[in-house]
Amino acid sequence: MSNAADTELRAGYTTLGRQVALPVLGLAFLTFLATWVTTFQWIDESRTVLGLTVLTVFGVALLLMAAGVAGIGVLSRFGYIDTTPSPTAGLPVGIVFGTLWAAIGMAVSFQYLGNTVLSWGPVALVMGAVGLLTATLPREDIGSTVPSALLLAVLGGLIVAGVFDASWVYEAEWTGAIFPGSELIPLLVSGATLLGAWSAGKAKEGFGAQGREAGAFYIIATVVFSMLSVLALLIWFIVKNGLDTFLTGASLTGGHLNVPFTGLSFPFVEVPFVTNVTGSLFVETPGVMPAVVGTLWLVFGAVLFAVPLGVGAAVFLTEYAEQGRFTQVVEVATNGLWSTPSIVFGLFGLAFLVPRISGGNSIFVGQLVLGFMLLPLVLITSRESIKSVPDEYRDASAALGVSKWQTIRSVVIPAAMPGTITGVILGVGRIAGETAPLLLVFGGAPYPSASPNVVGQFSFSTEPPFITNQALLEPASALPYQLYSTITAGVFPRPEIYSNQEFGWGTALVLLLVVLGLYAIGVASRLYFRRKLHYE
Amino acid sequence: MSSNRQIDTDGTDSQLTTAGESEETVEDAWSDYQYPGEAKLSVEDLDVYYGDERAIKRVTMDIPEESVTALIGPSGCGKSTFLRSLNRMNDRISSARVEGSVEFDGEDIYGGHTNLVELRKRVGMVFQAPNPFPKSIKDNISYGPRKHGDLDTSLLSRLIGRDDRESEMALVERCLKQAALWDEVKDRLDDNALGLSGGQQQRLCIARCLAVDPDVILMDEPASALDPIATAKIEDLIEQLAEEYTVVVVTHNMQQAARISDQTAVFLTGGELVEYDRTEKIFEDPESQRVDDYITGKFG
Amino acid sequence: MLQQIQNRAGEFVRGVSRRARAYRARTDDEALLFHAAAGFTTLLTFVMFFAGSEWTVIPLLAFVAVIVVGWQRQQAEVAMGLTFLTTIVTVSILTLIIGFLLWESMAIVEHMGLGVFTRIEKPLWTPSEGGVYSLTPMMMGTALTTLVATAIAAPLGIAGAIFISEMAPPTVREVVKPGIELMAGIPSITYGFIGLTILNQYFYTEFRTPTIGSYFAAGIMIGLMALPTIVTVAEDAISTVPESMKSGSLAMGSTEWQTTKSVTLPAALSGVSAAVLLGVGRAMGETMAATVMLSHTKGFPSPAFDVFSNYGETLTTVIAFEGASASGIHLSALFAGGVVLFFMVMLFSVTSQWIEWRMHRKLGGDQ
Repeated sequence: MSNAADTELRAGYTTLGRQVALPVLGLAFLTFLATWVTTFQWIDESRTVLGLTVLTVFGVALLLMAAGVAGIGVLSRFGYIDTTPSPTAGLPVGIVFGTLWAAIGMAVSFQYLGNTVLSWGPVALVMGAVGLLTATLPREDIGSTVPSALLLAVLGGLIVAGVFDASWVYEAEWTGAIFPGSELIPLLVSGATLLGAWSAGKAKEGFGAQGREAGAFYIIATVVFSMLSVLALLIWFIVKNGLDTFLTGASLTGGHLNVPFTGLSFPFVEVPFVTNVTGSLFVETPGVMPAVVGTLWLVFGAVLFAVPLGVGAAVFLTEYAEQGRFTQVVEVATNGLWSTPSIVFGLFGLAFLVPRISGGNSIFVGQLVLGFMLLPLVLITSRESIKSVPDEYRDASAALGVSKWQTIRSVVIPAAMPGTITGVILGVGRIAGETAPLLLVFGGAPYPSASPNVVGQFSFSTEPPFITNQALLEPASALPYQLYSTITAGVFPRPEIYSNQEFGWGTALVLLLVVLGLYAIGVASRLYFRRKLHYE
Repeated sequence: MSSNRQIDTDGTDSQLTTAGESEETVEDAWSDYQYPGEAKLSVEDLDVYYGDERAIKRVTMDIPEESVTALIGPSGCGKSTFLRSLNRMNDRISSARVEGSVEFDGEDIYGGHTNLVELRKRVGMVFQAPNPFPKSIKDNISYGPRKHGDLDTSLLSRLIGRDDRESEMALVERCLKQAALWDEVKDRLDDNALGLSGGQQQRLCIARCLAVDPDVILMDEPASALDPIATAKIEDLIEQLAEEYTVVVVTHNMQQAARISDQTAVFLTGGELVEYDRTEKIFEDPESQRVDDYITGKFG
Repeated sequence: MLQQIQNRAGEFVRGVSRRARAYRARTDDEALLFHAAAGFTTLLTFVMFFAGSEWTVIPLLAFVAVIVVGWQRQQAEVAMGLTFLTTIVTVSILTLIIGFLLWESMAIVEHMGLGVFTRIEKPLWTPSEGGVYSLTPMMMGTALTTLVATAIAAPLGIAGAIFISEMAPPTVREVVKPGIELMAGIPSITYGFIGLTILNQYFYTEFRTPTIGSYFAAGIMIGLMALPTIVTVAEDAISTVPESMKSGSLAMGSTEWQTTKSVTLPAALSGVSAAVLLGVGRAMGETMAATVMLSHTKGFPSPAFDVFSNYGETLTTVIAFEGASASGIHLSALFAGGVVLFFMVMLFSVTSQWIEWRMHRKLGGDQ
């Protein structure tokens, strides 16, 4: 039992422990990065650094980390470093190490003793017990350093000794795939660095409660860092691969901006990939114009359909309906719509709308189906923002003798508009990238040679339905659909200009620009409205 | 790191305070009150800013041990901010910034590398609204000691038969008795603490705080959310606690301050400490006209 | 039991009629007329559209006329009626979806019996008139990809949520949070394209998977896509834990991590598990990435957990891949797949809502 009055207010801050732990942490982080760089093959694993192959360097790094971590643990145990360890590292830690040790035992006996439960079972069991006991029985400073140092040392030692190298292969019984050392080693090393960082992090803060906090922080921060890196990688892949295609024939002043009705024309940015049609033999650079126009019409129609419905329902639910069974049902239905898989919307459109409206794939059905998908999001966000309009506004308005509907129209809806707009923009970002339902109800030729001409195709007649628009009732292309058909259609019609993949990456880049542009606007408008709300 | 400032221990003729250097308050601050015991906390030239706004203005005061110190003043005068700066809970607010020093047993808690965990173990806090954890009454009490490793009731220790469940029960009983809650809850220690009444919850929070065995207990309007009967119980409790602990209590209720405290500090608008003295002196014959106005209700 | 239901129903009817009478009493006859006209024309439009009549436009125009006239004479009442109508439309869309899914999958059930959901002998899938259609390999595929995806997305997602709400300094949070939201914005087909060209290729060349494309690779991509959902929803749940509770723990000298582990996470546990369920639902329904990454070969991997096998088809991919060209009984089989998918996802969605509702009641009821 530690007595609070005895301990220093600055306890846990010891310099020697820090001086050893910090380099170990740094080494762990660098090794972690390096393993992923190797996995992505930006560095070939057979490359040599200072006469050692990359994989051997990993092994050496692990051995160094093991020495550092074990060193702090032992020094702390024998009182050379001032730390505040708990009596034990705890059962969860023990279970983790038990599992890891059991896995190692299993793998090793698999390799040398053969593949029967009788041979690997006992080894795994014994090793697991060793891992569990070494982690839980000694004091925390030993229990959370030595087992992990041993693991690092075993892995690092095997790699440095060349037992486990790039040419090593695990051929599993249970699958046709094989697992070569060249790929497994970086993955295992990256896992081991996490373990090393956890131990070193704990040691840095002198173990105890604050040590555990630091250990958890380093693991979680690494995870989040990896997530953001994946995001950055995704975007980078698309930009890197798509930029060449996107910029084919592009120039800063080669294009013309025609001002309508005046006959004036200015030089303007020219990006043929965006402004040309896809399938024609007569354009120099095939582009994604039809898909861009198709996406715009889809989004326009979906918004036109979903926003009035969603806002109307939100107003009814918050302003008119009594909270009870009915609103609960609507809420469940809304959330149900929101989580319905997009392909199911496609099936529904195929069964219900296609035969009744166009008899085949068409823009109009696509608009409606995407509208159905947008509806729950509009409803949820506008309901949230209507709810957040303070009741004082309504009371104040009612106290002035204004009717309920007048209050809604002139107070509630304007106040709820910002939230709704943001929700709609974010929702549009989502449906603009939606592909699955379009396959079933919307898509047409893989490489269209003309953009849908919706504006010019209205025609009137005395027969019902009086107004028709042939363009709306025909299939078209949209950016995500274009990308899908490029992937599946095989050879691009003009292989001398683009390969299939090149055109695909270009389309992906345009799609990404459109969708992320919408997201950026959505997020910015949310920030803007929030700030305005705060300072008014 | 830490200054070696000697705290005046004999107590003769020492001033409790050299209150704010704000021009108009300097003359108010002196008195020749002899406070009992040593200074547990001594605050010097403390400024607290929220962003650009200065919430506490150059406050200097010593808080003597084993007594009740009340901080009173109109709302928005910064007394809660001041209280929260004594165990660095203001660190939770990202825009808050502190200048000056607060010495706890002679060590500056705003000096480099202060171990916040150690500090808060020794300077406990009870909040305005009762905030028990959504756990059983027993677990609420043993939460702190468990987290500090003083009580081990984990599965592992149970497996190897080394757990502290007996000392846990003893601790729960002692703390609940100290907080005058034992008789009311002794039959339902495993019930969720959220099922208690407001006054019981607040006493549970005090008991929870006692379980960590702090030196100082900070209380931020501990009775403001309670009914008169519960308030009376809390007030009795505070007076008893002062026999063992250093208690600093913020209140906007002047009668309460007069009833329970040994010394009183009056904060007025803008975060300045206007007067600090023996409680009877403050309420019967304050030096400052502004304090007199505030006490008699002409202001604030 | 029956008696009870009758009583409840009677009560309900009486309640409605009482409210209807009260409403009738305080409303103009003219407004009621407009309500009736709008309701009638809407119903007529729907019925005619449903029947596929080309005269649907007539009641639709009539409806518009009623609204236009009504807006001039009884604006408040008509506005209320319209908002009610929009609510009904929202609910009916879901009803229609369920109805059509079930209706269209009748044919395959007549043809195959329940074997469409249970058959495990070969042949499994022979798309032709009178062919064999078994959805079991696709259910298996959905289960495998969802498991891989959840194994990735759930721990990372919860870690991310904890980091954003409890650990990150404000400046870092302001970068990380929109970053994660941005991740949700990248279209699934783009994930699929990257998975196809990079991940599939990597597994094929380095790990020698039997075909290009595997449940494992697709699962990774789906996991990445489900990740932002879990992070945002779990983060919302964690940040609803009152600050006073956290302060209470910190003021006793617990570390932030102890507070997170012992106070914040237990209090937000139901919200966090709801987030995971929602993420699992998303992963199940994810279509495009899997469609372009998988090999569309139907069968059972052996052993069942072999995620690198040459089989690759899930419920969503088979619909997306074959839906556009299928007809007759083949299409009906795809609809049956849609039914399975829809009800699985609904199960997860409703469970997560129920958990959240309970948490709300628990926290709200005691404060």
